[in-house]
Amino acid sequence: MIMPDMDSLAHPQERRFNPYTENGGTILAIAGADFSVIAGDTRQSEGYSIQTRYAPKVFRLTDRAVLAVNGFAADGNMFVKKVKQRLEWYHHAHAKDMPLRAIARLIQTMLYARRFFPYYVYNILGGIEEDGTGAVYSFDPVGSYEREACRAAGAAQSLVQPFLDNQIYFKNQEAAQGTSHPSHLPLETVLSIVIDSFTSATERHIEVGDGLEIFIALSKGRTLQGMESIRGLQELTVTEDGERLFVMRRDLKKD
Amino acid sequence: MSIMEYNGGSVIAMVGKDCVAIASDLRLGSQALGISSNFQRIFPVTDRVYVGLPGLATDVTTLRERFRYRVNMYTIKEEREIEPETFAHLVSSTLYQHRFGPYFIEPVMAGLSKTPSGGFKPFIAATDLIGCLNFAKDFVVAGTASAKLFGVAEGLWEPDLEAEDLFETISQTLLNAVDRDAYSGWGAIVHVITKDKIITRTLKGRMD
Amino acid sequence: MFLTRSEYDRGVNTFSPEGRLFQVEYAIEAIKLGSTTVGVRTPDGVVLAVEKRVQSPLLESSSIEKIMEIDTHLGCAMSGLTADARTMIDHARVTAQNHAFTYDERIKVESVTQAVCDLALRFGESVHDEEAMMSRPFGVALLIAGVDELGPQLYHTDPSGTFMRYNAKAIGSGSEAAQSELQDKWHKQMTLLEAQKLALRVLKQVMEEKLDHHNVQLAQVTPQKGFAILDEVQLKEIIDAM
Repeated sequence: MIMPDMDSLAHPQERRFNPYTENGGTILAIAGADFSVIAGDTRQSEGYSIQTRYAPKVFRLTDRAVLAVNGFAADGNMFVKKVKQRLEWYHHAHAKDMPLRAIARLIQTMLYARRFFPYYVYNILGGIEEDGTGAVYSFDPVGSYEREACRAAGAAQSLVQPFLDNQIYFKNQEAAQGTSHPSHLPLETVLSIVIDSFTSATERHIEVGDGLEIFIALSKGRTLQGMESIRGLQELTVTEDGERLFVMRRDLKKD
Repeated sequence: MSIMEYNGGSVIAMVGKDCVAIASDLRLGSQALGISSNFQRIFPVTDRVYVGLPGLATDVTTLRERFRYRVNMYTIKEEREIEPETFAHLVSSTLYQHRFGPYFIEPVMAGLSKTPSGGFKPFIAATDLIGCLNFAKDFVVAGTASAKLFGVAEGLWEPDLEAEDLFETISQTLLNAVDRDAYSGWGAIVHVITKDKIITRTLKGRMD
Repeated sequence: MFLTRSEYDRGVNTFSPEGRLFQVEYAIEAIKLGSTTVGVRTPDGVVLAVEKRVQSPLLESSSIEKIMEIDTHLGCAMSGLTADARTMIDHARVTAQNHAFTYDERIKVESVTQAVCDLALRFGESVHDEEAMMSRPFGVALLIAGVDELGPQLYHTDPSGTFMRYNAKAIGSGSEAAQSELQDKWHKQMTLLEAQKLALRVLKQVMEEKLDHHNVQLAQVTPQKGFAILDEVQLKEIIDAM
């Protein structure tokens, strides 16, 4: 007979189920004057193991809205599913696509509804506003949100965000005499910054890599200027008004 | 609370074309409280070698004295200036001596080493707090803003930068990285080491 | 019409063999006893006008409230059992505020109208064994005016939960005469002032008393200023200009 371990009987022990995991990866979005770029890598990991090299984190919501989710993948996928469901209900109730800022507010209310058992995800919403401007909204897991020109989130946020501060907001850079920094960059520049950010993050962060998915939302009337040289560009949708949504895929290092 | 983050501060070193640069912020803190905006943690070792000591401030002082002592002993015994590679191993062995009760410092070194032909070759290195050496060919970082420094440096650095371009690159990297780190910042200092001169510049930075 | 009255007019949710819901029909009848209410839509906004029946000289006419705000861009005028309208407007206000809270945008006129109509059909409904919340249909009709991304709009709702969009609509006791007058006089390119004058003129024709700024109320919803009830001074100006 096994003697009971008197030590463990003497002290109360707590055992608890941890409902959350971190699945790595990084997302990023940058707004232009009349476009918005939303990107994410496709590696999904748990600890030091790679679960899959292709798990999308960026999703088309409407013809002019794209959502990137990062953090706990199960929560992220469920959250996107619920947002899509709400968008469909809204379409039935109000006979129109939900505008971007309305989606942003909806996401806040959905996240805050779970204030005490949160979706363990960081969201970045990108797309085209009703006034035709490119927009990026970023959220914390419980719904605090803000409209910005650019945002990185996820495992390599700390690597990418200061780079973006420098390259997008021109932080710590003085404009030449009599000139000023542009408030919005051209699409070509933005795309190369996005790709550079992810190659850098892949280089230095083990949870980032494998593949890169970049969504590009164009405002109506905008030409494809800056996209001529992109290989493998795939058009997803065109609205009646002429807003267009594209996706491009790139390989990232797999080591 | 991590002892490595108690006083804050970060250091970075980069390789350029026939030159190297090393830079650090100037903050000394006590956790969230700022104590000084003029805390030096980069020190000259010889005319062509500099060392940066991010980590626990008390150990910055102690280690600086220890390195001064050991370098002086080396110079006297060997009757020559220490080479950057040799200094790196000196740093490494000093730290490893305290393997189980370490100094809470992750040193970063930058210098120009003599080549047999009489020229100079850029050299940078960094170690962890127990002296594991990392001889990188591009850049090394350490301190509370290390993750941010890695990200920005990886994006901005390119091979064969001339001294002035290297200065700009390391300055931008440091400034933008420490602006996203609560424990680093409050101004910065940059040293660019070339074969015939050392350029030292103090940079203004965000004071928040 | 009521010759076929039978036991089928008792249950609020029981169809008669001819396929009618008598209680709903009676509720619609109740509106025809209410004071006349008029709504006119123009490209510049929507005008609402109501007759206030001042039954006694001792009655403070300003306390009769037949036009109410739902949201800054939505207004509502009523006819029939006006007490019932409180429940409906309260529901409309909550719906509008909820929409703004959840979506950070103004609710569409049609959506708020739909919400009110959903409520109108809740009579006789009970959850499990609990008592039904509403025992009878609402005895009131509403004219819901508003401005949204589709422009100025006017909706009419009745106790059956049906709603329809109108360019101009009259409800209440004088509605038949008023409606045919509106049909004659309404045109597409009316200005807001023309609409105000038309609404008052129509009311004047069907009112027993002489129309003045005490016994009518006028409101408008415009893209610029949203919902506003006109004060007595503004009202008087329009009456004088009529």
